[in-house]
This record gives sequence, structure tokens and C-alpha cells, in this order.
Amino acid sequence: MVLVTSVRDYINRMLHDISGMKVLILDSETVSNVSIVYSQSELLQKEVFLVEMIDSISVSKESMSHLKAVYFVRPTSDNIQKLRYQLANPRFGEHHLFFSNLLKDTQIHILADSDEHEAVQQVQEFYADFVAGDPYHFTLNMPSNHLYMLPAVVDPSGLQRYSDRVVDGIAALFLALKRRPVIRYQRTSDTAKRIAQETAKLMYQHESGLFDFRRTESSPLLLVIDRRDDPVTPLLNQWTYQAMVHELIGLQDNKVDLRAIASLPKDQQEVVLSSEQDAFFKSNMYENFGDIGMNIKRMVDDFQQVAKSNQNIQTVEDMARFVDNYPEYKKMQGNVSKHVTLVTEMSKLVEARKLMLVSQTEQDLACNGGQGAAYEAVTDLLNNESVSDIDRLRLVMLYALRYEKENPVQLMQLFNKLASRSPKYKPGLVQFLLKQAGVEKRTGDLFGNRDLMNIARNMARGLKGVENVYTQHQPLLFQTMESITRGRLRDVDYPFVGDHFQQGRPQEVVIFMVGGTTYEESRSVALQNATNSGIRFILGGTAVLNSKRFLLDLEEAQRIARSGSHMV
Amino acid sequence: MATRNRTTVYRKHRDACKSARAPLSDSFGGPVIEMVSGSFARSNHSSYAPLSTNDPGPSSSDDAFTIGLPPAWVDDSEEITFNIQKVRDKMGELAKAHSKALMPTFGDNRGDQRVVEMLTHEITDLLRKSEKRLHNLSTRGGPSQESNLRKNVQRSLATDLQSLSMELRRKQSTYLKRLQQQKEGQDGVDLEFNMNGKMSRLDEDEELGGMTVKLKEGQHVSAEREREIQQVLGSVNDLAQIMKDLSALVIDQGTIVDRIDYNIQNVSSSVEEGYKQLQKAERTQREGAMVKCATILLILCLIMIVLLILKNVLF
Repeated sequence: MVLVTSVRDYINRMLHDISGMKVLILDSETVSNVSIVYSQSELLQKEVFLVEMIDSISVSKESMSHLKAVYFVRPTSDNIQKLRYQLANPRFGEHHLFFSNLLKDTQIHILADSDEHEAVQQVQEFYADFVAGDPYHFTLNMPSNHLYMLPAVVDPSGLQRYSDRVVDGIAALFLALKRRPVIRYQRTSDTAKRIAQETAKLMYQHESGLFDFRRTESSPLLLVIDRRDDPVTPLLNQWTYQAMVHELIGLQDNKVDLRAIASLPKDQQEVVLSSEQDAFFKSNMYENFGDIGMNIKRMVDDFQQVAKSNQNIQTVEDMARFVDNYPEYKKMQGNVSKHVTLVTEMSKLVEARKLMLVSQTEQDLACNGGQGAAYEAVTDLLNNESVSDIDRLRLVMLYALRYEKENPVQLMQLFNKLASRSPKYKPGLVQFLLKQAGVEKRTGDLFGNRDLMNIARNMARGLKGVENVYTQHQPLLFQTMESITRGRLRDVDYPFVGDHFQQGRPQEVVIFMVGGTTYEESRSVALQNATNSGIRFILGGTAVLNSKRFLLDLEEAQRIARSGSHMV
Repeated sequence: MATRNRTTVYRKHRDACKSARAPLSDSFGGPVIEMVSGSFARSNHSSYAPLSTNDPGPSSSDDAFTIGLPPAWVDDSEEITFNIQKVRDKMGELAKAHSKALMPTFGDNRGDQRVVEMLTHEITDLLRKSEKRLHNLSTRGGPSQESNLRKNVQRSLATDLQSLSMELRRKQSTYLKRLQQQKEGQDGVDLEFNMNGKMSRLDEDEELGGMTVKLKEGQHVSAEREREIQQVLGSVNDLAQIMKDLSALVIDQGTIVDRIDYNIQNVSSSVEEGYKQLQKAERTQREGAMVKCATILLILCLIMIVLLILKNVLF
């Protein structure tokens, strides 16, 4: 509840004190922040009768001086320029400016300079600068996510902007939670180190007054890690509801766009999957596909009962009762059709791409040993005609990540087969992945074959057998969280920034993954939090990845790296 | 949750900039700017005083910098809001009247029932009037910010009206149910009383006469109850109609239509659509046959005039 409630509180405070008809003006990033936690009907209740984007407002010429304008934008130079223009020709009765992050003094000067008509009533900083999709999971929705994979010399200004945005997002999160953390980072990642150090500088030096909150008995922990330490999780196919929807169709700001998948009636083309608003989704978002099917069937049966009783209208009382319950009935109907549509479409995709077959091999590659058997399985699937290109690529990548050092001949054979089978495959992509996230670059024990404890655990698991072959994978994050819970996160691998020090175990941990998180990891965090171990974990990233997005980032980074090397 | 107020810093800068600018722009728009700064200086510095958007009327146009008269439809929405408030007050009265009418009394409580009837009637009237007014808010003309604003105001008022109608229906149905229970109970009590009364009478004729009179009275009472129930049902049906109309306007919560970003996207796409339609309309009008005829006629007229002049000049 924490993240969603903080953003809602900020918005409530913004709108509460201003009476009368209001117009809310957002920019392209804050519109996501606001839409994901606040609904249109709630805005209407607060007398916000118009919502506009700051870009289109500049163009329009209508004067609406009976409205009070509430601006909620990021303090970027672009937005400041647009605000200048609007303040010079004010269209609204009052202007209340709320910025989602820290304002520089120069920016305040610029605004004050252009405010000749004294149209601005207040200027505030309300730190809701992240997209809070789930109670313990946030993202920054950053567009050029691939920059973290490149060394700083390739695009220094781009990387600086990237790093600044991340630092701003993390700072806003901690300001919303009113905490100042102890910071640790992953040693092997330059980007993570840079971000950790700049965050520390911001919180402890530049704005130390602002971050000077009441100390609790143990400081919270901010852990900055890199996606490349666990490249396996974004490549795997998912079988739990929320993760599966994102993997197969795509979940953006808790919205699903089904228009590309199938032709559907108008009210099912775009749907909302939010755990806050949909009770069925909340109880099923982390369940696996088989259980979801059963639960949906139960929901449909319940609904049919209600529908049948509604058709059985005989007396006036029945009619009256029907009209009374109609809004709830309509809502239930909408919800049922939404979930049925989603599950139907996903089943179709699973069937078409033979994902049951592919995913079994994927899970074996990720979790179990046996190089020879793995090679056979992957070769079989590469030869299988109905397997799509992207699935072939993923299989080879997973194999390469696991058996990078074993049997290079067979690895080469797989590369060649992949190149010959997939015409659109960009050559060298798998090698690029190995260069970025290969066994030398990784800190954590991704496959459980370095640490003796992990090897033993894997053997035990192999002997015991797993409940469900398709969900046996645990993301590396799970091990990291366990280490933190036991207080055994190694200083060598995850050093502290500067002279920070943590006594005992932290009670709140924010894990920020540079490069993006996945819904499988957010599920892991939610389940960990539900065990009430005394530590509350919050997960965040620069984006929410599925395999398509991860591969896109890799390709983009590879393209830039190649063109950069030509220039050298 | 932490926030930081930058208003004082901002104001300081703004005043500094103004004083830096003031000696330069002396004569140009002086009185306007002074009136502006004067009116704002009056407002409290630590908090902001919301400026009134209700202008008293045409006399305010003398003021150099007014907030501006709100457009006409705002009157409609304000009246509906006022009606909604009145309805809420009357619902409170209705609840009291209901409980009073349902209390078992010795005399007949027709007076109370009339009060209930009157109140229900008034409330239904107000709701119906508000609903009709609500349709005035519907936009005509192309999509624009103003029309979007009106649509949202309409939606919000529709939601309020719908919840009020539902509340009224619920109250009425409980009243109805309790009324029916009472009617059955009362009839039962009446008959029992009659039975007992019969025993004490000796004269059969008188008894029979008495019984028929009692029965007739009982019938009369139940007929009256029937009538009341029918009336309440009638108003229930009215409300059902209002609700049906309103449900078309109200947003379903939790669906995609309730998302702010979806609405913004749709506005921009519908604005684009509207723009394209306007362009097409302009083009068809320009190429219209009527326009062509008119231009041809005009040209012919000019030629005739020229020929006329030439004829006069040459002869």
C-alpha cells in the first residue's frame, strides 16, 4: 500500500485546498504517475473538470479564467520554458505550480521573471516522481533504457542524463517515505556505483537539510544493483497472471492494449489490470495459469447464477431489486468478460507458439544441470518449425548463459543454427549478451553452481521434484533478499558507499535495479513481504521488462557499441 | 510525505524582478498593472485566498482586471448543484416523515402519509428538473477544451444525481415493505378484534350488521393502503426511468474509461478527427456547386456591366 498511498496523498493534498472548478495540467511523465493511482471519477469528485497536457495547452488559445489551474509537472527545462510562455499570457484565473522533484534556484528565477501578471499563487515541490504500479513495486518508465549497458565514454551526456533521472526518482521515493537510507551498490557494475554515489551526494551533502528526517532505530537500506547480474529472469516465459500478461501481450501503466492481438468489441480493446481496483486480480495476480483458469471458471459460474436470477423477474419487487443492483451487476459483467478475454487470448498465444514445450526447456536450462541433454533439447526446438524466432533466440541465449564455458564447439554450432534459421536475427547478439552479462561479469550465483550451499540445495530440489515444472525458477533477487534478511549480504560483493555503515538488519529495504525489473521479481518481493519476516522490501527499476523489451535494449546497445567502435 | 514550499522564494524573486522592471515601464499599461498588484497584495501572503469567480454582473466590467465572467452553462451547473443540496436536505426530512408515518397510531395517520407523499413528490420533481437541466450541458459543436470541461462537469453531476436517486429508491422500497407488513398485520388484527367483538353481541342481526360494517371499514382501510402502495410504486417507476437516463452519462469505475490517460488520448484523437472533418467540410464547401454557380454569375454580371459602359461610351 505504501507506494500507491504516498502518491495518492500527494495528489489529494494538491487538490484539497483549492476550491472551485479546477483544471489539472500534466506532462507526459506525470500523467502516468497520476493515472495509475487516481481515477477520472475521483478527480471529478474533487472538482477537477478538465485534464490537459502541458504541450497542448501552449497551443490552444481559449481563455478560461473561471478555472483554477493546478500544474503537476517534472522540473525539466522543457517544462519550465512552456510554463514561461503560459505565465506570460495567463489563461486561467489562478495558477498553482506543483513540481514532482527538486527545483533548481535558476529555474525559480526564470519563472519569477516571466510572471509579469503575478498569476502564480504558489510554487511547491511534491515528490511523486515515480510510477507506483503495485504496493511494493515502482518504475521510472525510462525510454532509453539501454544506456546502462554502455561504457561511459560512448555517450557521456546521455549517461549523465540517465543517471540524473534515476537519482531524481530514488530521491523522490525516499522523500515520499520520509527516510534517508544507507546505500550499498553492486561492485561489478559501474552504472550502479555511479548512481549510488550520486544519490549519496544528493542526500547527504547537497540537500542534507531536506533529507534530515527523524532517525529510526535502524536506517533503511538502498541497494542499487544491475540487471546484468540476472539476465535469465527477463528472458524466461512467465506463467503467473500479471507476469504472463506482460510477457505475452504487454502491460503498460497497468493497462493492457489488446488491439494488436485480436479484433474485440470496443469495450474490451483496452483494459485495466490494477490490484487496487480489481479484487479478482488482486487475489489471482501471482497465481499460475492453471489455477487462474479454475478461478475464472468459478467466477463465471457465479456470474451466471446472478444473471439467471436477474432474468427471472416476476414481481415489482424483483424489478426494483434488479434496478437497485444493476450497477454492481454491470461492473461484475465487465470484470468477468475482461478476465475471460485475457485468458482466452493468452491461451491462443500459448498454443500458437508452442510455449508449453519451449518453456519446459527454458526452465530446465535455468534451473537444472546436464549440458548434454540441454544441447539436445535446444537443438530439437531450433529444428522445430512452429517455434518462433524470438523463442529460438531466447533458448540459445539461456543455453549460452549457462554453458558458456562448457563445450564451446556445441555452442558455436548453436549460434550457426540460430543464424541460419532466423532471418531477422542480428548476428552477434548472443555474444554481446555474454560480453555484458557473462559469467565473469556477474556477482551473484545465478545458476546456483558456485556456492557449495547452493549446489547442495539444487541437488536436494532435484531429488525432491518440483510442484510445477513451469514455475520452478526463482529469480536471483530472491537469494539477495534472503541474504539481507539473514544479515549476510557480503560487503565484498555489495560494498557501502563512502563511510556508510549499517548496524544490524535494516527494517526497510529498497532495491533499485538499474536496467529494469520484471513482474516475476515483483511477485517474489510481494510474497517475501507477505511472510512477515520483519523486513519490508520495495522494488524499483528504470523500466518493467519483458523478454521483448530486454532484447530490444540489447539490440540498441549493440548497435551503438558497434557504431562507436567504428568511430574509434 | 515530505513537501517543500518554494512560494516565498518565488515571491521574493518576482517582486525583485518587478521592481527592476518598474522604472522602465512607467506609462505603458500603468493603471492595469497597479490594479493587479494591488488586488494581489491584499491577499494573505502565507496562504492564498481563492479569488471569487462569481462576478456580480455587468457592473464588474468596469474593473480593469476581472477574473472574467464564467460562461452561461456554469449557471446551469450551479443550479443543479443547488438542487442537489436541496434534495439532500429534503431526504433527511423524508426519512423522518417515513418513520413517523410508520408508527402505529390510534387515529388514522393520513396527515403523515400526505406529508410523505408531498416530500417524495417534491424530491422526484427536483431530480427530474435537474436531469433535464443536465442535458442542457451537453455540448454542441466541435470538440474543444470547453466542451471537454462541460462533459466532465456533466458526468460528475450525473454521478451525484444517480446516487441520490438510488438512495431515494432504497428508502422508498423499505418504506413500502414496512407499509405492506403493517397492512397485513392490521387487517389480521382487525379481523381478530371483530371475532372477539362478535362473541360479546347477543343480537344476531346487530352482530351481522356490525360485522359487515366492520368488514366494510376493514376493506376501506385496505383499499386505501392499496392506493398508497400504488402511488409509491408509481414514483419508484419514475425514478427507475431517471436512473436509466443517468446511467448513460455516468462512468463505470475501474474500467478503461475511468483512466485519466485514456481520456486525454481520446480527446487528442477526437480533436484531430474533428479538425480533419472541418477541413473536409471546408473543402467540400469551397468546391460546392452553389459556389461555382455564384462565381460564374458574378463574372457574367461584371462582363455585362463592362459592355454596358462600353456601349454608352462608344455611342
